[in-house]
Amino acid sequence: MQPAAELEQLMVRYQQGDAAAVAALIQRLSPQLHRFFLAQFVSRLSADDLLQETWLRIHQVRHTYRPGEPLLPWLYALARHVRVDHYRKARRVAQREQQVEALPEVPAPAAARGPDLEAMLRALPESQREVIVMLKVAGMSIEEVARATASSAGSVKQKAHRAYQTLRRLYEA
Amino acid sequence: MRPEDLEILPGSAPDPAVVERIAAAVARDLRPVRPRPAAGAAVAGLLAVFLAVAVPAAARLGFFGVQRMSPGVMAAIFPPLAELALLAAAASVNAMTPGSKRPFHPAALAAGGCCAMAAIFFLLFPDHSLGRFVPQGVACLKTGLLWAAPAAVLAWILLRGGYAVDRAAAGAAGGTFAGLAGLAVLELHCANFRLWHVVVWHLAVVPIAALAGAAVYFFGSKRRDAELMQ
Repeated sequence: MQPAAELEQLMVRYQQGDAAAVAALIQRLSPQLHRFFLAQFVSRLSADDLLQETWLRIHQVRHTYRPGEPLLPWLYALARHVRVDHYRKARRVAQREQQVEALPEVPAPAAARGPDLEAMLRALPESQREVIVMLKVAGMSIEEVARATASSAGSVKQKAHRAYQTLRRLYEA
Repeated sequence: MRPEDLEILPGSAPDPAVVERIAAAVARDLRPVRPRPAAGAAVAGLLAVFLAVAVPAAARLGFFGVQRMSPGVMAAIFPPLAELALLAAAASVNAMTPGSKRPFHPAALAAGGCCAMAAIFFLLFPDHSLGRFVPQGVACLKTGLLWAAPAAVLAWILLRGGYAVDRAAAGAAGGTFAGLAGLAVLELHCANFRLWHVVVWHLAVVPIAALAGAAVYFFGSKRRDAELMQ
């Protein structure tokens, strides 16, 4: 996990037009953003697209980051917005398309992960899953997740608690 | 192993070629940008807008309302109204900055603010008669909305450099702020202190402006977002 202050410093240098800083920021933050998208059960290709779209959006609105403020909530609020837009667009396309026949099920990648994490995460409502991913993948604090999701810290705690209960139940089953 | 210790999707990493492509695309268009002003400065700017609309508007229409009020009534109405304007200004500024704190939804602010002001009016104005309820009320509603419009435009000019991740909420926050400016104009100007007139027609400016702000900003900025990503 990168120290937050170092990331914030890189962001400030990015705003100042420092090419090395932006390259470092993209290298450091892309893996966790990519995992954030993958955890929402989009395909790897879609996760790559979302990652690109998120960085372009970040680039367009980089002036809205205020130096001294935590970076991750700002970043994840934008990533979340891109994901929601993508979901809406995909839903519109799906409504227009007519399914001709059922596609064969694609086998899941045979990664050795112990418990079936994907299945356990799939059991969570989207809002809870999102909170868990931000807390566990991005290592964000409750307060930071609250900022990124435009909700209160109490609401984030409640969602995380419910998600842990569900995960614990599924894990023990 | 506890669920809290789960590492989600370990080993998943973006394609290095994709990351390189992103870095190259961003580097091509890299130039310095000036960060948005501090939230406090933006809130102060919005409060200046509030005063710059409410006071000249009431001066133009006449300070009939405030002239008829006792100091106690003035003290009961204007400080809470100013506090609500401050909250709406802060909510508007936060809504235009991704990842900002949002202690409450702007719609809750509009609803809660109206309830609080209605409670104050119930305590202050004992005259429950209706009089010419509709014609006088419609005139006040029109006046309030008319003066909420310039407040909304000026607020938009101040905040337009920001970016709203929740477009409807941002519009509702700005609309609530503008509606409160319209309400302030009515409180300064209108000398009709019948309870139901004030509670229904004066307060209606706030939710109507909030709804209009949400609708206008939602559809307006949706197009801007699409253009941004071209």
